[in-house]
Amino acid sequence: MFEKVEAFYRPESVPEALRLLERGKGQAFLVAGGTDLVVEAGRPVRFLIDLTRAGLSYIRKHDAICAVGATTTLAELEESTAIRALACGLISRAAASCGSVQIRNRATIGGNLAHGSAAADLATPLLALDASALVAGEHGRRRMRLTDYLARSHGDELPHCLLVEIGIPEPPHGARCGWSFQKFGRTEIDIALVNAAAGLQLDTHGRVKWARLALGAVAEFPFRVRGVEELMTGRELDLALLAEAGKEVMRAVKPIDDLRATAEFRRELCRVLVGRAFEECAEHAGYSL
Amino acid sequence: MKTMMVCATVNGAVRQWTIAPGDLLLDVLRREGYFGVKRGCEKGECGACTVLLDGKPVNSCLVFAAQAEGCEILTIEGLSEGDALHPLQEAFLDHGAVQCGFCSPGMILAAKALLDRQPHPTEEQVRAALAGNYCRCTGYCKPVEAVLAVAGKEPAVARRRKTGAICR
Repeated sequence: MFEKVEAFYRPESVPEALRLLERGKGQAFLVAGGTDLVVEAGRPVRFLIDLTRAGLSYIRKHDAICAVGATTTLAELEESTAIRALACGLISRAAASCGSVQIRNRATIGGNLAHGSAAADLATPLLALDASALVAGEHGRRRMRLTDYLARSHGDELPHCLLVEIGIPEPPHGARCGWSFQKFGRTEIDIALVNAAAGLQLDTHGRVKWARLALGAVAEFPFRVRGVEELMTGRELDLALLAEAGKEVMRAVKPIDDLRATAEFRRELCRVLVGRAFEECAEHAGYSL
Repeated sequence: MKTMMVCATVNGAVRQWTIAPGDLLLDVLRREGYFGVKRGCEKGECGACTVLLDGKPVNSCLVFAAQAEGCEILTIEGLSEGDALHPLQEAFLDHGAVQCGFCSPGMILAAKALLDRQPHPTEEQVRAALAGNYCRCTGYCKPVEAVLAVAGKEPAVARRRKTGAICR
Protein backbone atom coordinates (compact mmCIF):
# COMPACT_ATOMS: atom_id res chain seq x y z
CA MET A 1 0.00 0.00 0.00
CA PHE A 2 2.99 2.30 0.16
CA GLU A 3 4.23 1.28 -3.28
CA LYS A 4 3.60 4.76 -4.63
CA VAL A 5 5.77 6.50 -2.08
CA GLU A 6 8.45 8.39 -3.97
CA ALA A 7 10.63 9.59 -1.13
CA PHE A 8 11.18 9.03 2.57
CA TYR A 9 12.57 12.09 4.32
CA ARG A 10 14.18 12.21 7.74
CA PRO A 11 14.42 15.92 8.56
CA GLU A 12 16.67 16.90 11.44
CA SER A 13 14.79 20.03 12.41
CA VAL A 14 11.25 21.37 12.58
CA PRO A 15 11.74 24.08 9.89
CA GLU A 16 13.08 21.42 7.51
CA ALA A 17 10.06 19.20 8.23
CA LEU A 18 7.70 22.14 7.60
CA ARG A 19 9.38 22.94 4.27
CA LEU A 20 8.98 19.34 3.16
CA LEU A 21 5.37 19.27 4.32
CA GLU A 22 4.53 22.37 2.31
CA ARG A 23 6.39 21.14 -0.77
CA GLY A 24 4.39 17.91 -0.61
CA LYS A 25 1.15 19.77 -1.39
CA GLY A 26 -1.17 17.48 0.50
CA GLN A 27 0.57 14.31 -0.64
CA ALA A 28 3.24 14.41 2.05
CA PHE A 29 2.39 12.65 5.30
CA LEU A 30 4.06 12.95 8.65
CA VAL A 31 5.09 9.76 10.38
CA ALA A 32 6.71 9.01 13.72
CA GLY A 33 5.68 5.73 15.34
CA GLY A 34 3.62 4.73 12.31
CA THR A 35 1.09 2.88 14.44
CA ASP A 36 -1.83 4.87 12.99
CA LEU A 37 -0.57 5.85 9.54
CA VAL A 38 0.50 2.38 8.44
CA VAL A 39 -2.81 0.71 9.23
CA GLU A 40 -4.94 3.29 7.44
CA ALA A 41 -5.19 2.36 3.81
CA GLY A 42 -6.37 4.63 1.04
CA ARG A 43 -4.40 7.79 1.68
CA PRO A 44 -2.65 9.37 -1.30
CA VAL A 45 0.80 9.04 0.23
CA ARG A 46 3.52 10.23 -2.13
CA PHE A 47 6.08 11.47 0.36
CA LEU A 48 6.76 10.39 3.92
CA ILE A 49 8.31 12.74 6.44
CA ASP A 50 9.70 10.94 9.47
CA LEU A 51 9.80 13.18 12.52
CA THR A 52 11.74 10.90 14.83
CA ARG A 53 15.06 12.66 14.12
CA ALA A 54 13.74 16.20 14.32
CA GLY A 55 14.78 16.64 17.95
CA LEU A 56 11.27 16.30 19.38
CA SER A 57 11.84 13.42 21.81
CA TYR A 58 12.25 14.98 25.23
CA ILE A 59 10.61 15.56 28.60
CA ARG A 60 11.84 18.77 30.23
CA LYS A 61 10.83 20.82 33.23
CA HIS A 62 10.84 24.60 32.65
CA ASP A 63 9.74 26.46 35.76
CA ALA A 64 6.29 25.15 36.54
CA ILE A 65 5.70 23.61 33.10
CA CYS A 66 6.57 20.13 32.00
CA ALA A 67 7.33 20.21 28.27
CA VAL A 68 6.97 16.98 26.32
CA GLY A 69 8.28 16.78 22.75
CA ALA A 70 5.82 15.47 20.19
CA THR A 71 7.78 12.34 19.28
CA THR A 72 8.18 11.18 22.89
CA THR A 73 6.88 7.61 22.94
CA LEU A 74 4.14 6.30 25.17
CA ALA A 75 6.70 3.92 26.72
CA GLU A 76 8.86 6.93 27.65
CA LEU A 77 5.85 8.64 29.25
CA GLU A 78 5.07 5.45 31.13
CA GLU A 79 8.56 5.33 32.60
CA SER A 80 9.54 8.98 33.05
CA THR A 81 10.04 9.94 36.69
CA ALA A 82 8.88 13.51 35.99
CA ILE A 83 5.67 12.32 34.34
CA ARG A 84 5.02 9.71 37.00
CA ALA A 85 5.33 12.34 39.68
CA LEU A 86 2.64 14.48 38.03
CA ALA A 87 -0.94 14.27 39.33
CA CYS A 88 -0.69 10.77 40.87
CA GLY A 89 0.90 9.48 37.65
CA LEU A 90 -2.24 10.28 35.63
CA ILE A 91 -0.48 10.53 32.25
CA SER A 92 1.81 7.56 32.83
CA ARG A 93 -1.19 5.43 33.67
CA ALA A 94 -3.03 6.55 30.55
CA ALA A 95 0.07 5.85 28.42
CA ALA A 96 0.44 2.39 29.98
CA SER A 97 -3.15 1.59 29.02
CA CYS A 98 -2.56 2.08 25.28
CA GLY A 99 -2.13 -1.05 23.16
CA SER A 100 0.71 -3.50 23.64
CA VAL A 101 4.35 -3.00 24.64
CA GLN A 102 5.24 -3.12 20.94
CA ILE A 103 2.78 -0.31 20.19
CA ARG A 104 3.87 1.81 23.15
CA ASN A 105 7.50 1.54 22.08
CA ARG A 106 6.59 3.25 18.79
CA ALA A 107 3.44 5.33 19.27
CA THR A 108 4.08 8.96 20.24
CA ILE A 109 2.22 11.58 22.26
CA GLY A 110 2.10 13.84 19.19
CA GLY A 111 0.65 11.09 17.03
CA ASN A 112 -1.94 10.21 19.65
CA LEU A 113 -3.18 13.82 19.64
CA ALA A 114 -2.60 14.86 16.01
CA HIS A 115 -4.30 11.77 14.63
CA GLY A 116 -7.54 13.22 15.93
CA SER A 117 -9.06 10.04 17.34
CA ALA A 118 -12.07 10.63 19.55
CA ALA A 119 -10.70 7.91 21.82
CA ALA A 120 -7.11 9.21 22.16
CA ASP A 121 -6.14 7.97 25.61
CA LEU A 122 -3.63 10.74 26.30
CA ALA A 123 -6.03 13.52 25.37
CA THR A 124 -8.33 13.05 28.35
CA PRO A 125 -5.69 13.30 31.12
CA LEU A 126 -3.97 16.16 29.30
CA LEU A 127 -7.27 18.04 29.02
CA ALA A 128 -7.93 17.46 32.70
CA LEU A 129 -4.49 18.94 33.42
CA ASP A 130 -5.12 22.03 31.25
CA ALA A 131 -2.31 21.13 28.84
CA SER A 132 -1.32 23.31 25.91
CA ALA A 133 -0.13 22.47 22.39
CA LEU A 134 2.81 24.20 20.74
CA VAL A 135 2.18 24.25 17.00
CA ALA A 136 4.75 25.23 14.37
CA GLY A 137 3.72 26.62 11.01
CA GLU A 138 5.13 28.85 8.30
CA HIS A 139 4.45 31.93 10.44
CA GLY A 140 6.32 30.63 13.43
CA ARG A 141 5.21 28.87 16.58
CA ARG A 142 2.15 29.47 18.68
CA ARG A 143 0.87 27.93 21.84
CA MET A 144 -2.81 27.11 22.12
CA ARG A 145 -4.98 25.33 24.60
CA LEU A 146 -5.09 21.61 23.90
CA THR A 147 -8.85 21.72 23.70
CA ASP A 148 -8.59 24.30 20.88
CA TYR A 149 -5.91 22.28 19.14
CA LEU A 150 -8.10 19.16 19.17
CA ALA A 151 -11.09 21.07 17.79
CA ARG A 152 -9.10 22.91 15.13
CA SER A 153 -6.97 20.03 13.91
CA HIS A 154 -10.15 17.95 13.78
CA GLY A 155 -11.70 20.57 11.51
CA ASP A 156 -8.58 20.65 9.29
CA GLU A 157 -7.97 24.25 10.30
CA LEU A 158 -4.26 23.70 10.81
CA PRO A 159 -2.88 22.65 7.42
CA HIS A 160 0.89 22.47 6.97
CA CYS A 161 1.29 22.78 10.71
CA LEU A 162 3.16 20.55 13.02
CA LEU A 163 2.45 19.72 16.64
CA VAL A 164 5.83 20.25 18.28
CA GLU A 165 5.33 20.06 22.02
CA ILE A 166 2.79 19.54 24.76
CA GLY A 167 3.01 21.79 27.79
CA ILE A 168 1.67 20.49 31.07
CA PRO A 169 1.31 23.14 33.79
CA GLU A 170 2.03 22.16 37.36
CA PRO A 171 -1.24 20.64 38.53
CA PRO A 172 -2.90 22.26 41.53
CA HIS A 173 -1.51 20.47 44.54
CA GLY A 174 -1.63 20.51 48.26
CA ALA A 175 -3.43 18.44 50.82
CA ARG A 176 -6.42 16.26 49.93
CA CYS A 177 -5.83 16.20 46.16
CA GLY A 178 -6.54 13.19 44.00
CA TRP A 179 -6.48 12.15 40.35
CA SER A 180 -7.75 9.17 38.43
CA PHE A 181 -7.68 7.71 34.93
CA GLN A 182 -10.34 5.17 33.99
CA LYS A 183 -10.76 3.30 30.75
CA PHE A 184 -12.96 0.53 29.53
CA GLY A 185 -12.25 -1.47 26.38
CA ARG A 186 -13.19 -4.91 25.10
CA THR A 187 -9.71 -6.26 25.77
CA GLU A 188 -6.52 -5.07 27.41
CA ILE A 189 -5.15 -3.74 24.12
CA ASP A 190 -8.32 -2.63 22.34
CA ILE A 191 -9.18 1.06 21.98
CA ALA A 192 -11.30 2.65 24.67
CA LEU A 193 -15.09 2.46 24.58
CA VAL A 194 -14.88 5.30 27.07
CA ASN A 195 -11.95 6.87 28.87
CA ALA A 196 -12.12 9.37 31.69
CA ALA A 197 -9.66 11.51 33.62
CA ALA A 198 -10.68 13.24 36.81
CA GLY A 199 -9.14 15.25 39.59
CA LEU A 200 -10.32 17.04 42.70
CA GLN A 201 -9.29 18.67 45.92
CA LEU A 202 -11.30 18.57 49.13
CA ASP A 203 -11.31 20.97 52.02
CA THR A 204 -11.16 19.84 55.66
CA HIS A 205 -14.95 19.38 55.72
CA GLY A 206 -14.94 17.10 52.66
CA ARG A 207 -16.26 19.80 50.36
CA VAL A 208 -14.98 19.91 46.78
CA LYS A 209 -12.63 22.89 46.30
CA TRP A 210 -12.27 22.21 42.60
CA ALA A 211 -13.02 19.30 40.28
CA ARG A 212 -11.76 18.41 36.82
CA LEU A 213 -13.27 15.93 34.44
CA ALA A 214 -12.46 15.01 30.83
CA LEU A 215 -14.00 12.25 28.77
CA GLY A 216 -12.96 10.52 25.55
CA ALA A 217 -14.63 8.37 22.89
CA VAL A 218 -18.08 9.79 23.60
CA ALA A 219 -18.09 12.92 21.41
CA GLU A 220 -16.38 14.18 18.25
CA PHE A 221 -13.20 14.69 20.21
CA PRO A 222 -12.20 14.37 23.89
CA PHE A 223 -13.60 17.21 25.98
CA ARG A 224 -13.80 18.76 29.44
CA VAL A 225 -17.13 18.25 31.17
CA ARG A 226 -17.46 21.71 32.69
CA GLY A 227 -21.05 21.14 33.79
CA VAL A 228 -19.95 18.41 36.17
CA GLU A 229 -16.96 20.38 37.44
CA GLU A 230 -19.23 23.32 38.31
CA LEU A 231 -21.90 21.11 39.79
CA MET A 232 -19.41 19.52 42.20
CA THR A 233 -17.52 22.62 43.28
CA GLY A 234 -18.38 23.74 46.80
CA ARG A 235 -20.50 20.66 47.53
CA GLU A 236 -19.78 17.91 50.00
CA LEU A 237 -18.40 14.83 48.27
CA ASP A 238 -20.75 11.94 48.97
CA LEU A 239 -22.49 9.20 47.03
CA ALA A 240 -25.49 11.43 46.35
CA LEU A 241 -23.24 14.01 44.70
CA LEU A 242 -21.57 11.31 42.59
CA ALA A 243 -24.99 10.06 41.48
CA GLU A 244 -25.93 13.60 40.50
CA ALA A 245 -22.62 14.01 38.62
CA GLY A 246 -23.29 10.72 36.84
CA LYS A 247 -26.65 11.96 35.63
CA GLU A 248 -25.13 15.20 34.40
CA VAL A 249 -22.41 13.24 32.56
CA MET A 250 -25.01 11.13 30.77
CA ARG A 251 -26.65 14.32 29.55
CA ALA A 252 -23.37 15.90 28.45
CA VAL A 253 -21.99 13.11 26.25
CA LYS A 254 -22.86 12.41 22.62
CA PRO A 255 -21.73 8.83 22.02
CA ILE A 256 -22.25 6.90 18.79
CA ASP A 257 -23.31 3.36 17.95
CA ASP A 258 -20.57 1.31 16.30
CA LEU A 259 -19.29 -2.24 16.10
CA ARG A 260 -17.85 -2.06 19.61
CA ALA A 261 -20.85 -0.81 21.56
CA THR A 262 -24.15 0.99 21.38
CA ALA A 263 -24.48 4.64 22.29
CA GLU A 264 -26.73 3.64 25.18
CA PHE A 265 -24.08 1.31 26.60
CA ARG A 266 -21.39 3.98 26.25
CA ARG A 267 -23.59 6.52 28.02
CA GLU A 268 -24.11 4.14 30.94
CA LEU A 269 -20.40 3.36 30.93
CA CYS A 270 -19.65 7.09 31.29
CA ARG A 271 -21.76 7.24 34.42
CA VAL A 272 -20.01 4.21 35.94
CA LEU A 273 -16.48 5.28 35.02
CA VAL A 274 -16.95 8.84 36.23
CA GLY A 275 -18.20 7.46 39.55
CA ARG A 276 -15.17 5.19 39.83
CA ALA A 277 -12.85 8.03 38.82
CA PHE A 278 -14.07 10.38 41.55
CA GLU A 279 -14.07 7.54 44.07
CA GLU A 280 -10.41 6.92 43.28
CA CYS A 281 -9.70 10.66 43.52
CA ALA A 282 -11.29 10.67 46.96
CA GLU A 283 -9.17 7.69 47.96
CA HIS A 284 -5.99 9.47 46.85
CA ALA A 285 -7.20 12.50 48.78
CA GLY A 286 -7.43 10.31 51.88
CA TYR A 287 -11.18 10.66 52.15
CA SER A 288 -13.62 7.82 52.59
CA LEU A 289 -17.01 8.11 50.97
CA MET B 1 10.82 2.79 -9.22
CA LYS B 2 12.67 5.09 -6.84
CA THR B 3 14.96 3.38 -4.39
CA MET B 4 17.11 4.31 -1.43
CA MET B 5 19.78 2.70 0.69
CA VAL B 6 19.41 1.71 4.30
CA CYS B 7 22.11 0.40 6.59
CA ALA B 8 21.35 -1.46 9.81
CA THR B 9 22.88 -4.09 12.05
CA VAL B 10 20.92 -7.34 12.03
CA ASN B 11 21.81 -9.99 14.58
CA GLY B 12 25.21 -8.40 15.02
CA ALA B 13 26.13 -8.13 11.32
CA VAL B 14 26.07 -4.88 9.35
CA ARG B 15 23.65 -5.06 6.44
CA GLN B 16 23.06 -2.64 3.62
CA TRP B 17 19.91 -2.90 1.57
CA THR B 18 18.38 -1.18 -1.42
CA ILE B 19 14.76 -0.51 -0.55
CA ALA B 20 11.75 1.35 -1.92
CA PRO B 21 10.95 4.44 0.21
CA GLY B 22 7.61 2.97 1.32
CA ASP B 23 8.92 -0.50 2.21
CA LEU B 24 8.03 -1.83 5.64
CA LEU B 25 10.67 -3.44 7.82
CA LEU B 26 8.73 -6.73 7.94
CA ASP B 27 8.82 -7.06 4.14
CA VAL B 28 12.49 -6.16 3.87
CA LEU B 29 13.55 -8.59 6.63
CA ARG B 30 11.64 -11.47 5.03
CA ARG B 31 12.95 -10.56 1.60
CA GLU B 32 16.46 -10.76 3.05
CA GLY B 33 15.80 -14.24 4.42
CA TYR B 34 14.86 -13.61 8.04
CA PHE B 35 11.81 -15.86 7.90
CA GLY B 36 11.58 -16.07 11.69
CA VAL B 37 9.92 -12.65 11.38
CA LYS B 38 6.37 -13.85 10.77
CA ARG B 39 3.77 -12.11 8.66
CA GLY B 40 0.57 -12.15 10.69
CA CYS B 41 -2.11 -9.47 10.81
CA GLU B 42 0.02 -6.65 9.31
CA LYS B 43 -1.85 -4.24 11.55
CA GLY B 44 0.26 -4.26 14.67
CA GLU B 45 -2.14 -6.42 16.61
CA CYS B 46 -0.85 -10.00 16.63
CA GLY B 47 2.83 -9.44 17.42
CA ALA B 48 4.02 -12.30 15.16
CA CYS B 49 6.36 -9.90 13.34
CA THR B 50 8.00 -8.66 16.57
CA VAL B 51 11.69 -7.85 16.36
CA LEU B 52 13.88 -5.98 18.83
CA LEU B 53 14.79 -2.55 17.48
CA ASP B 54 17.62 -1.14 19.59
CA GLY B 55 16.61 -3.64 22.26
CA LYS B 56 12.92 -2.79 22.30
CA PRO B 57 10.14 -4.99 20.96
CA VAL B 58 8.29 -3.43 18.02
CA ASN B 59 5.89 -4.69 15.38
CA SER B 60 8.03 -4.71 12.24
CA CYS B 61 4.85 -4.42 10.14
CA LEU B 62 4.39 -0.87 11.45
CA VAL B 63 7.98 0.32 11.03
CA PHE B 64 9.18 1.76 7.75
CA ALA B 65 12.42 0.09 6.71
CA ALA B 66 13.95 3.53 6.21
CA GLN B 67 13.42 4.20 9.92
CA ALA B 68 15.77 1.34 10.78
CA GLU B 69 18.75 3.29 9.43
CA GLY B 70 21.59 2.98 11.93
CA CYS B 71 19.57 0.76 14.26
CA GLU B 72 20.34 -2.61 15.77
CA ILE B 73 17.79 -5.26 14.92
CA LEU B 74 17.50 -8.61 16.63
CA THR B 75 15.39 -11.34 15.03
CA ILE B 76 14.83 -14.83 16.41
CA GLU B 77 17.61 -16.09 14.11
CA GLY B 78 20.10 -14.09 16.18
CA LEU B 79 19.14 -15.52 19.55
CA SER B 80 20.83 -18.91 19.61
CA GLU B 81 24.58 -19.23 19.67
CA GLY B 82 25.43 -21.84 17.08
CA ASP B 83 23.55 -24.97 18.09
CA ALA B 84 23.00 -23.77 21.62
CA LEU B 85 19.50 -22.42 22.04
CA HIS B 86 18.85 -19.37 24.19
CA PRO B 87 17.49 -20.26 27.67
CA LEU B 88 14.11 -18.79 26.68
CA GLN B 89 13.95 -21.03 23.62
CA GLU B 90 14.85 -24.05 25.76
CA ALA B 91 12.21 -23.11 28.31
CA PHE B 92 9.51 -22.70 25.66
CA LEU B 93 10.29 -26.24 24.44
CA ASP B 94 10.50 -27.71 27.96
CA HIS B 95 7.18 -26.18 29.00
CA GLY B 96 5.26 -27.14 25.87
CA ALA B 97 4.82 -23.48 25.04
CA VAL B 98 5.34 -24.14 21.32
CA GLN B 99 2.74 -25.87 19.19
CA CYS B 100 2.54 -24.57 15.63
CA GLY B 101 5.34 -22.16 16.47
CA PHE B 102 4.05 -19.20 14.50
CA CYS B 103 3.82 -16.88 17.50
CA SER B 104 6.93 -18.23 19.24
CA PRO B 105 9.58 -15.92 17.69
CA GLY B 106 7.62 -12.81 18.60
CA MET B 107 6.79 -14.06 22.08
CA ILE B 108 10.33 -15.11 22.83
CA LEU B 109 11.72 -11.76 21.67
CA ALA B 110 9.12 -9.83 23.68
CA ALA B 111 10.07 -11.96 26.70
CA LYS B 112 13.78 -11.38 26.09
CA ALA B 113 13.27 -7.61 26.07
CA LEU B 114 11.46 -7.90 29.39
CA LEU B 115 14.12 -10.08 31.04
CA ASP B 116 16.92 -7.83 29.75
CA ARG B 117 15.38 -4.91 31.65
CA GLN B 118 13.81 -6.81 34.51
CA PRO B 119 15.49 -10.17 35.18
CA HIS B 120 13.00 -11.16 37.89
CA PRO B 121 9.59 -10.00 36.76
CA THR B 122 6.33 -10.86 38.48
CA GLU B 123 3.78 -13.00 36.68
CA GLU B 124 1.73 -9.87 36.09
CA GLN B 125 4.70 -8.17 34.43
CA VAL B 126 5.27 -11.20 32.21
CA ARG B 127 1.63 -11.21 31.14
CA ALA B 128 1.74 -7.48 30.40
CA ALA B 129 4.92 -7.91 28.36
CA LEU B 130 3.28 -10.65 26.26
CA ALA B 131 -0.07 -8.88 25.85
CA GLY B 132 0.82 -7.88 22.31
CA ASN B 133 1.54 -11.44 21.13
CA TYR B 134 -1.36 -13.61 20.08
CA CYS B 135 -1.24 -17.39 20.24
CA ARG B 136 -3.95 -19.46 18.60
CA CYS B 137 -2.84 -22.92 19.77
CA THR B 138 -1.38 -23.47 23.22
CA GLY B 139 -2.80 -20.41 24.90
CA TYR B 140 -0.90 -18.25 27.31
CA CYS B 141 -0.27 -20.25 30.49
CA LYS B 142 2.63 -22.24 29.12
CA PRO B 143 4.52 -19.32 27.59
CA VAL B 144 4.09 -17.42 30.86
CA GLU B 145 5.35 -20.46 32.81
CA ALA B 146 8.34 -20.74 30.46
CA VAL B 147 9.33 -17.09 30.93
CA LEU B 148 8.92 -17.32 34.71
CA ALA B 149 11.05 -20.47 34.77
CA VAL B 150 13.90 -18.59 33.06
CA ALA B 151 13.45 -15.80 35.60
CA GLY B 152 13.77 -18.43 38.35
CA LYS B 153 10.19 -18.03 39.50
CA GLU B 154 7.26 -20.30 39.82
CA PRO B 155 4.01 -19.25 38.21
CA ALA B 156 1.00 -18.73 40.44
CA VAL B 157 -0.80 -21.66 38.79
CA ALA B 158 1.94 -24.12 39.79
CA ARG B 159 1.96 -22.75 43.32
CA ARG B 160 -1.79 -23.19 43.58
CA ARG B 161 -1.53 -26.72 42.17
CA LYS B 162 1.05 -27.66 44.81
CA THR B 163 -0.98 -26.30 47.66
CA GLY B 164 -4.02 -28.15 46.42
CA ALA B 165 -5.94 -25.01 45.49
CA ILE B 166 -6.28 -26.35 41.94
CA CYS B 167 -6.86 -29.99 41.12
CA ARG B 168 -6.23 -31.24 37.59
